[in-house]
Amino acid sequence: MRYLAWKIGFYVIALWAALTLNFFIPRWMPGDPVDILIAKLAQHGPVAPATRRSIEALLGTDSSQPLWQQYAQYLHNLATGNLGVSVTFFPSSVGQIIAQTLPWTIGLIGLATVISFVLGIGLGTAAGWKRGSWIDNLIPVTTMLQSVPYFWLALILLFVLGSTFSLFPLNGGYDVYGTTPGWNSGFIGSVAYYGALPALTIVLSSVGGWMLGMRNMMVSTLSEDYMVTAEAKGLRPLRIMRRYASRNAVLPSISGFAISLGFVVAGSIVTEAVFSYPGIGSALLQAVTSNDYALMQGIFLIITVSVLAANLLVDLLYTVIDPRTRARA
Amino acid sequence: MATTTTSSSAPAGSAAAPRARRARRGLPVARTPKLVTGVVIGALIVLLAVVGPFVVQDPSRVSDVGLAGPSGAHWLGTTQTGQDVLAQLAYATRGSLTVGAIVGVVALALSAFFGIVGAYAGGWLDEGFSLFTNVVLVIPGLPLVIVISSYVPNKSIWLVALVLSLTSWAGSARVLRGWTLSLRNRDYVAASRVAGEKRWRILLVEILPNLVPLLASQMVFAVIFAILGEAGLSFLGLGASGSFTWGTMLYFAQNGLALRLGAWWWFIPPGLLLALFGAALSLINFSIDEVVNPKLRQQTRGARKGWRMTRQQLARAEEETR
Amino acid sequence: MLFSSRPSRRAATVLAAAAATTLVLTSCGSGSSGGGGGGGGAAKGSITIFNGSTGTLTRNFNPFSPSLLQPTLGVIYEPLYYYNLATTSDPVPMLGTGYTWNADGTQLTITARQGAKWSDGQAFTAKDIAYTFDLIGKTPSINASGLKIVSSVATDDQTAVLTFSEPSYTSEAFILGNTPIIAQHQWEGLGDPAKTTNEDPVGTGPYKVKSFASTSYELTKNDQYWQSGKPEVTNLRYISLATADAASAALTAGQVDWMSSFLPGLEQLLGKQKDLTYVNTPALTASIFTCSSVALGCSGPQTDPAVRQAMYYAVDRAQLNKLAGGGFAATASPTMLLPDRDQQWIADPANTTVPQSPDAAKAEQLLDAAGWVKGSDGIRSKDGQRLSMTIQTVTGYSDFISLNDAMTQEMKAVGIELKPSQLSYNEYNNNQVQGTYQLSLDSIGLGPSSNPYYTYQPRYTTAATAKVGEAAQTSGNYARYSNPVVDQAIATAAATNDADVQKQQYATVQQQIIQDMPYVPIYVNSTLTEFNTSRATGWPTNDDKYAFPASWKSWDNGQVLLHLKLAD
Repeated sequence: MRYLAWKIGFYVIALWAALTLNFFIPRWMPGDPVDILIAKLAQHGPVAPATRRSIEALLGTDSSQPLWQQYAQYLHNLATGNLGVSVTFFPSSVGQIIAQTLPWTIGLIGLATVISFVLGIGLGTAAGWKRGSWIDNLIPVTTMLQSVPYFWLALILLFVLGSTFSLFPLNGGYDVYGTTPGWNSGFIGSVAYYGALPALTIVLSSVGGWMLGMRNMMVSTLSEDYMVTAEAKGLRPLRIMRRYASRNAVLPSISGFAISLGFVVAGSIVTEAVFSYPGIGSALLQAVTSNDYALMQGIFLIITVSVLAANLLVDLLYTVIDPRTRARA
Repeated sequence: MATTTTSSSAPAGSAAAPRARRARRGLPVARTPKLVTGVVIGALIVLLAVVGPFVVQDPSRVSDVGLAGPSGAHWLGTTQTGQDVLAQLAYATRGSLTVGAIVGVVALALSAFFGIVGAYAGGWLDEGFSLFTNVVLVIPGLPLVIVISSYVPNKSIWLVALVLSLTSWAGSARVLRGWTLSLRNRDYVAASRVAGEKRWRILLVEILPNLVPLLASQMVFAVIFAILGEAGLSFLGLGASGSFTWGTMLYFAQNGLALRLGAWWWFIPPGLLLALFGAALSLINFSIDEVVNPKLRQQTRGARKGWRMTRQQLARAEEETR
Repeated sequence: MLFSSRPSRRAATVLAAAAATTLVLTSCGSGSSGGGGGGGGAAKGSITIFNGSTGTLTRNFNPFSPSLLQPTLGVIYEPLYYYNLATTSDPVPMLGTGYTWNADGTQLTITARQGAKWSDGQAFTAKDIAYTFDLIGKTPSINASGLKIVSSVATDDQTAVLTFSEPSYTSEAFILGNTPIIAQHQWEGLGDPAKTTNEDPVGTGPYKVKSFASTSYELTKNDQYWQSGKPEVTNLRYISLATADAASAALTAGQVDWMSSFLPGLEQLLGKQKDLTYVNTPALTASIFTCSSVALGCSGPQTDPAVRQAMYYAVDRAQLNKLAGGGFAATASPTMLLPDRDQQWIADPANTTVPQSPDAAKAEQLLDAAGWVKGSDGIRSKDGQRLSMTIQTVTGYSDFISLNDAMTQEMKAVGIELKPSQLSYNEYNNNQVQGTYQLSLDSIGLGPSSNPYYTYQPRYTTAATAKVGEAAQTSGNYARYSNPVVDQAIATAAATNDADVQKQQYATVQQQIIQDMPYVPIYVNSTLTEFNTSRATGWPTNDDKYAFPASWKSWDNGQVLLHLKLAD
């Protein structure tokens, strides 16, 4: 119990440190959000000299407040759930933008990551177990796929399967012409169809990593003495594989999986750029290029909390699944 | 694939087989086809990086022959502005491998230090290192790259590599820490401690060697991550776009709609080289696995199958020894 | 033990499945559900438009907001007059049918159109015009043009009178051509005009909002529109695409009917498709911005006018157009105006166009005369200072990056060294605003009307600049150019409505700026607009420039949509 308290205590400190960094990072970036917004407006039409004052009045940006006061305000806002107003999408609130885009990212990228993990672990177990079989030959292929730059693979697949053969849609999250958002079969079917190609590219490019890691660990585990004992005792091979070998071999992979779940948001930027998918990654990119402090902080917060939560979960899980970590010298 | 010749007799005999296949004195790695392929491909690419820029044309030189296919004058064709693709590829290989090397070394050193040392030491040091690792892990890498590089007017390869390594060691450190925590409670470690060995010696001699395959695979991943990460950043327009790397080449090819206009000679080679290099590293990784853990070589399930006796053999053996 | 009876691999699967289920359950159907989405883009009478929106969209139809959805201005709301920037023409009456200034430019009387209706059926009157300007005058946060309005009243249903605190001739184009006229009966109840998102706008324009989702929205024909029989196209579908590649894919697949993207190899892309055409309307002059004034804190070889002149003569514009402009760029003018549209404003015919081929001899002569001596490596130097300058551009602008590459080579021939650098948009913009750069590639943009005042005043006057290290006016005098002769001439031109007086003053301005050349013009950037003629015809062409055709251009897009006819 005391161990648990220690763990949670340290994660709280980590959370505070990360939040403080999240506060400072956008402010260290050069450029004033007002200037950038105006410069972008100027690209599309005439902008009168007085626009600067009018936009400053709009945003209410008061950079004359001392930094510590802004920091205190920031922490207070976080506690009350007020994430602020976005500059890029003014006057929509940050919470609104996140609520609008996050489900798409989690739905697509999160699911694809889970599928790729399960598939990779399964294949890796089989490959490590039956060393020398045909599955082992898959390893170099999947590893090569994993070394392929993701966007390169995605662009080629999009070009071949989307443009040349018109098997998959070219862009978007769902069919904007024929379906209405909501819990109806037409919409859900459309989302699945539009998400198929992005999910396919994610699975293809990341399954190799899980497979390789799992296979290596399986091979190491299989060489342990208790494996020989189990075989000598005459246990069924499948039982050995499931109950003893893979259970021990999957430990590092679980840790890695939890980390990767936490980075779903940050990793979605490229996917959404290639497929014009309406997720939170593209919102982050827009926020970064417009110096939108509030939106950036909001999205960082999501990334931070999800990564920390994932890590905490893994730490706790480790003590459960690997009793060896519980016994400390 | 490694084929070990084992007889159905005692396993000790099988140790003789791989020793016979060890090529020369001083070369501890068994020459499997996988290793040879990996080394050859990797070496060719490194050769391109080292020697290439000296023998090719000026990659920045614009000419009026825009978006032309491979020809005698330009072996890999030209870009939209008439620049030679092969020349750019040579410089890009050098750039990307530089990024990979820097990140591989720095990230490995950092993750080994924070992961292994902390976990082995235990107590406050472990908790402190673990806390620090978690905080670093949680910092979003993308804006950190922008912030740090904004202090330097011209984003160079070195800067991008440094920032990538600073943001990538944390994941590896977590994994290493987890494994070290498991290892330090194993019997042989306890035995060494009882025997009175110094702590740092135990770390170096008992624990570290068992982590080597993990460290090697982490380093391979770090290098591949670095090169892919740099490519991804460049695709978003946030990388070292003034220098030549595989990523920036792909970025300009993408912006020039190379694939759509049919200019495969501009779009395919950088991605292909990237994938080949990654595959080569992984193949080398497999072979390292087999070397450091001899058990990996022969204690495969297939080998153990060979020991299994049928019921008749068992019966006969019993009769013989009666 | 929790997992004693289950293998860990299954535990991992269970964990993963649980995580996945949780994630899926927390994701509800995205976007605000709009009205019926059926019968959309592919159907007859409907077109799909891509106006450059990337990423996620928010439902903001507030015409005063900086993050509005672009069709708000011109398609949903209309101005008093329409100013066509593509050719020289008189303003076209829209919601206003006449206007007069008083003698000293402090009072503007506007006649409102009769018979127009708002999309909810109520009548449009001069009271709405008066209300619009009254609101703008009272709310500084939406007064983007800086109008100095004292009072705005409707004397009757047909006439509105605006009174200003100072002569405001130069605000005419902003008032008549760039102000959306809003409905008094709707906005009275909307609260703070700066902060509302105006989700269901009531406008006089040809279309109104039908449905909205975070990736696309639909507008439908306004049955109350005051031009009978128009518009012909019944539905507009706007979409959001992330990259130029996605846009070109959608275009060649026949999914987009109207978009404005610079696509490399455009003619090759469109070659085989008989339904796709394009039009090129160059409008922005790409130039080398120089930090030119030592007095205001600039440093470097570019502060020497001879160096700037040498750069002007050293570049090979024909090659630059081929390599960077795709062959689509138009010829620029050293007066920084557009040679074909602004002929009447260019005082000296000799200054109409820039030289298309390089004059290396002249460049070298200018540099020699200024004391720049060629060194052993081919680069000149003077008093120990090397003729080497950094030139910045934005990472995403591949045509500008190609310009940099090509110019580096061309200028090397005369002994000038350029060091190109690519920065993020934030840094690049910041450098220009603060003046902390030597050379920068940028364009000089569209003003509210074609009067050269809107080109010269922001870029060349002392009022629009600041010392290096302080912020200059936005889209202003980044070159740190300060010339009292120019300031005086522009002030005189601003105080009058008389075109001849203005022309005289501009002649003085042109003479000065060609001599000093704080901005070195290269060419006029193309503006390519692509059309699909299988669903609608009547798009602007090079022979018939009835509007500026870019799909992102506010106000003009309304004109284009009014002109379209359904294809058979």
